[in-house]
Amino acid sequence: MTLQQMAVLPVAIPLLSAALILATAPILPRRMPDVLAILIALCCAGLCGFLADRSAAGPIVTWFGGWTPRGGQPIGIAFVVTPAGGWIAAFIAALFAATLVFSWGFFEKTSAHFHLLMLLFMAGQIGFCLTHDLFNLFVWFELMSVAAFALTGYALRSSALSGALNFTVVNTIGAYLILAGIGLAYSRTGALDFAGIARGVSASPGDPVVVASFCLLSTGLLIKGAQVPFQFWLPDAHSVAHSPVSVIFSGAMVAIALFGIAELYWAVFASAPVVHALMHGLLLGMGTASAALGGVMALLQRHVKRLLAFSTISHAGIMLIGFALLDRQGVSGALVYLVGHGLVKGSLFMGAGILLARLGGADEIGLRGAGRQIWPAGVAIGAGGLLLAGLPLGVMDAGLERIWDAARLAGCWPAEIAICAGLVCTGAAVLRVTGRVFAGLGPVPGEEERSPTEDEREDADRPLWLMLLPVAALLVLAVPLRHDADRIGWLAAQALMAPQTNAILGMGRLHAIVPPPWRVAPHSVLPWIATAAAILVAALQLFWHRLPCPLAHGFDRFAAPALRGLSALQSGRVADYVAWLTAGLALFGVAASFG
Amino acid sequence: MSAVLHAPPVTLLPWLVAAWLFGIGLYGIVTSRHYVHLIGCLGVVQASTYVLLLAVGYRWNATAPIFYSHPPGRAVDPVVQALVLTDIVIGVTVTALLLALVLQLHKRKGTLDPERVRPMQP
Repeated sequence: MTLQQMAVLPVAIPLLSAALILATAPILPRRMPDVLAILIALCCAGLCGFLADRSAAGPIVTWFGGWTPRGGQPIGIAFVVTPAGGWIAAFIAALFAATLVFSWGFFEKTSAHFHLLMLLFMAGQIGFCLTHDLFNLFVWFELMSVAAFALTGYALRSSALSGALNFTVVNTIGAYLILAGIGLAYSRTGALDFAGIARGVSASPGDPVVVASFCLLSTGLLIKGAQVPFQFWLPDAHSVAHSPVSVIFSGAMVAIALFGIAELYWAVFASAPVVHALMHGLLLGMGTASAALGGVMALLQRHVKRLLAFSTISHAGIMLIGFALLDRQGVSGALVYLVGHGLVKGSLFMGAGILLARLGGADEIGLRGAGRQIWPAGVAIGAGGLLLAGLPLGVMDAGLERIWDAARLAGCWPAEIAICAGLVCTGAAVLRVTGRVFAGLGPVPGEEERSPTEDEREDADRPLWLMLLPVAALLVLAVPLRHDADRIGWLAAQALMAPQTNAILGMGRLHAIVPPPWRVAPHSVLPWIATAAAILVAALQLFWHRLPCPLAHGFDRFAAPALRGLSALQSGRVADYVAWLTAGLALFGVAASFG
Repeated sequence: MSAVLHAPPVTLLPWLVAAWLFGIGLYGIVTSRHYVHLIGCLGVVQASTYVLLLAVGYRWNATAPIFYSHPPGRAVDPVVQALVLTDIVIGVTVTALLLALVLQLHKRKGTLDPERVRPMQP
């Protein structure tokens, strides 16, 4: 079997086996779907990793049905495996494997539907990373979205249903925007293949229709990537979905939407000057706003999963900053950060799942001191909090150092401040939860502070070690792979930023991907400061009631109304979210016409 | 072939219709007080993409792209028609899923006013 034929397997295997599992579910032994799904995810991770490793010697190009380009004109649909898309697909499949281990025996009563949806979800994400055709990208995007909508509502509780409705409505509008963008790109270039469109774009780089196409495509992807002002659906959906589903939402789905923007920019639109200005201006600003806003909102939450959801917005913002700096260092950092953040955030959402299963809730105030019996989970969540705050260990820090360095060299101080704020606030929020739930710190809650949420208990039959195993695996992976991840990120950035357009269209030979000499990721003092500040902020929040009166009073006077206003924006009304979406789209229009 | 593909759209009207449908659909979603109505508005938003895609592929004085009974000649672009078909399939999937969610929500809450069935508040 050639590499070209193998490139199809990472999507074909999960799709076919999902159908087989559904057909044979009634006669399979009870645990069989669990075992099969884990094996399939591991198999896909291995395959994608192998393909990604081999693609360093030249992108692996597969034209479906043998419809190779004729005379430089693409007429078929292609999968192109590069180190960028390939390694991200491998990471996604590995995250799915860990999540499926975590959700072992999660659903006692239902049949194999959960595994089926998870496999479809995985196939959609892997296809999204490997495809080289704009419309095909849309189809994988929709496969992934529909599986995600169904998985959000899977709990069938009324809050889960309304969260899923908000998620579906907002994201479906995003999908139609993407489709409109595809229509515009096709109308100007007559092609759907990335390389074909790129050739049309470079022939008329100033065309307003091309710019409009980029605006629509990136708005749709930014909605999925939960960037300001499109981020409102995310906390509603993440906090009500089952925790294994939230792991994938935060760790993979949001991040690969941003990867999609980066891929489209370099593979298709890089030669259009207005698009360059939009990317370096508006998208950088959106990333900056998201990094800061997500961090502040995370600090204000008491529901652990909601808190983690806001922290995802913040860290996705940091990733977008890395991509939008349009600099090799930043892009390589963002790719590494995507993986590192996925590992850490995945383990944190699993930690929240352990709280739900063992303690029957995820309300931080109500669970004060209740976590002492399950202290190993506390150690894991605390470690996750420190890594989120920027503790200079592991994969996430390697990415952060590069993004930070790129932002510093570009003289982009608002982004630098936002990155700091995001790290400190999200880290502090998680550390505060750890302190309160597992060490019983902070004031004793009064009766009026009980939260009025519904019963969210998740299945508690699973042994603690089984739930802790994937958490530990993700955290352990996140630490020692720093140098390998950084080296691969450097290579992947080259593959992403220098697509071999002509060779893919059959004009010229595909050649090995050779990045400029690799330097070890820089070490700065920032992570130490951010970690220390996060610990300080967490302690401040926990011991607020013991602070001298004037200080606390002053804060309540001035800052509290602003924070209440921010919280009120997150209204839960789909109408508000769609109005913000329209405003964001208008912002794109204004920026493009002045760009 | 490529001359047909690169020909600019002949008239502005379908583009305006697409933009209008998109805007009015969004307006409907923002002001809707019933989820079934809201899903209908989402359908209107989707219809704008149909119009847009068909407008992209339309050619004056051209036939359907079926050359079974007559020799190949000037025809409208079949690629966008295939895209619209896929779009319809996706739209049906999403609508069916949304209606199923709405049905379950109605069983639990007894109302479908988006104002009154908000997700968990902090």
